[in-house]
Amino acid sequence: MSPYRREEDVVPPEPQRMSDVAIMRFEHIFEVDPALMREHVRQQDFPNWDTQRIAASRTDHLDWMHRHWATVVVSGEELLDE
Amino acid sequence: MSAVAGGIDDRALEELAQVLGSEHLITSKPARMHRARVPAPFPVHRWADHTPDAVVLPGSTEEVAEIVKIANRFGVPVVPRSGGTGLTDGAVPLRHGILLDLKRLDRLIELDLENRTCTVGAGMNMLKLNERLGPHGLIYPDDPASYPCSLVGGRIGTSGWSLIGSRYGHTRDLVLSFLHVLPSGEVVRFGDGGGGKLAKSSTGYTLKPLFMGHQGTLGVATEATLKLYPKPEAELSPFWAFDDYETAWQALRAIVRTDCATFAGAVIFDEQKVRYLRRDDEAYIPQPESVRALVCAVLYGNEDEVRVGGKRLMRAARENGARYLGDEISQGDWAARHDRYATPLHGRTKAGQVIAMSWHCEDAEINWTELPAVRREWHEIVARLRAQTDVFDDWGMFAYTSARTGVSYLTEIDVGIWEQELDDETWALWVDAKRDIARVAVAHGGSISSCHGACREGEVDVVPEELGGGYEVMRTLKRALDPNNVMNPGKYGLDGVFEEDLK
Repeated sequence: MSPYRREEDVVPPEPQRMSDVAIMRFEHIFEVDPALMREHVRQQDFPNWDTQRIAASRTDHLDWMHRHWATVVVSGEELLDE
Repeated sequence: MSAVAGGIDDRALEELAQVLGSEHLITSKPARMHRARVPAPFPVHRWADHTPDAVVLPGSTEEVAEIVKIANRFGVPVVPRSGGTGLTDGAVPLRHGILLDLKRLDRLIELDLENRTCTVGAGMNMLKLNERLGPHGLIYPDDPASYPCSLVGGRIGTSGWSLIGSRYGHTRDLVLSFLHVLPSGEVVRFGDGGGGKLAKSSTGYTLKPLFMGHQGTLGVATEATLKLYPKPEAELSPFWAFDDYETAWQALRAIVRTDCATFAGAVIFDEQKVRYLRRDDEAYIPQPESVRALVCAVLYGNEDEVRVGGKRLMRAARENGARYLGDEISQGDWAARHDRYATPLHGRTKAGQVIAMSWHCEDAEINWTELPAVRREWHEIVARLRAQTDVFDDWGMFAYTSARTGVSYLTEIDVGIWEQELDDETWALWVDAKRDIARVAVAHGGSISSCHGACREGEVDVVPEELGGGYEVMRTLKRALDPNNVMNPGKYGLDGVFEEDLK
């Protein structure tokens, strides 16, 4: 077992620019450019695992909402192929 | 006696405690302050003006009736509150008094599988109800943006609008009947006829709609019998991109006119809305610049019917300049529409810096033909605000079908408001803008509100202009049914009725 290293948790991967105002550090997880959050939004260290957990929870929630409303979700792409 | 002053007599508190038990009568400051506002932008610098004197949590219709009778005896205002999610300040006290919190009335009282109805307390949440109905293959399809957190009582008090109302109807159609405590404390059941579970009746006056959408000014619903539908087998929610708003607006009409039986609703996103979403919405950040307006539609029903209808919709969209955005966005964004209160609210200063803002959602009902003109005029109003201060930010517009014929649309402009920076001057700017926004809706033959109600500062001044003689009937009814003005005094400008009495 490797020892716990706090910096491994809180130092995020290098960002990739996605637009003038957004970056991406983890696949499919977009973040507002931190340069736009300097004056009025207080920044904090955020564990990498927590970023991924929040994004995964959002996906889980949306999947749950589909099941809540209907038994199956019909694919629009499938209809276009037909 | 007219209940317009703040403060509660100790004897009134004693009587309330006798009815409720002391644990359900709360006078602590945090409990009262938490129930002073709703999620809509709020003059936080005037919080104390809206704090109730006491909070009561009744456990039965009988207790609600007793509370209202006590309020009449002591001349104390009563403000009903269900989920507290309404966006027209219906649950915000204007004259302090008793805050009547309905959350304990959350029981599923009866489930009638033969007639497909259920009876619930007014504190029941639709999502929680549908978790109970799902195992029986049933659903209660009242689907506001606050679906996970709003309650049946508030839906009645505001005469709510449903995202999928074009298929299933809105709250007024889905609520068959309800128990209602009148301002006198008398308990009455309002429905179609006297049966309680009837979908149509012509006996006597049609009173049910009158006691919906009154924002607590004519009493409070405590228990409701609801119409249930089979839980849909299938859902389809295609999202399409367009080069511009005009093309999307025309395509919207073509999509609605496919007249598919499973069609449950359609939404148009304008160009400012797409620009707003590009700031921090993961679905839209990577979209190419050619995506400038959107339309989405949703079908619910039997799978074979949804598939056939879906193909017809796809064909209509393609013939009208649409590009399908793909399953991931279509499905993900639609699922998020049931829960828009969970959206993080980021605004921007004019310099581009992120600020935390609250969300104002205008909700006029506008005919399809008038949508472009209303859109242009509303954006001009918000642009003038924005030019004066960073407190306001234009978050763009949606318009949603209210009926499957496409006759009129819930037309929404979303405005971010930087609450921490509000003061009397910026609040006055906002109230003036609200009044202007409401006047545009009325000038185009629309209604100020499709779903929230129209009793906030600014817009409320325009209600008599919209309703004409109907507003005089409202005043007459208020005076007749609530002679002591105990029920939510101050709302809809109805205090004026009692001021005339004092003269």
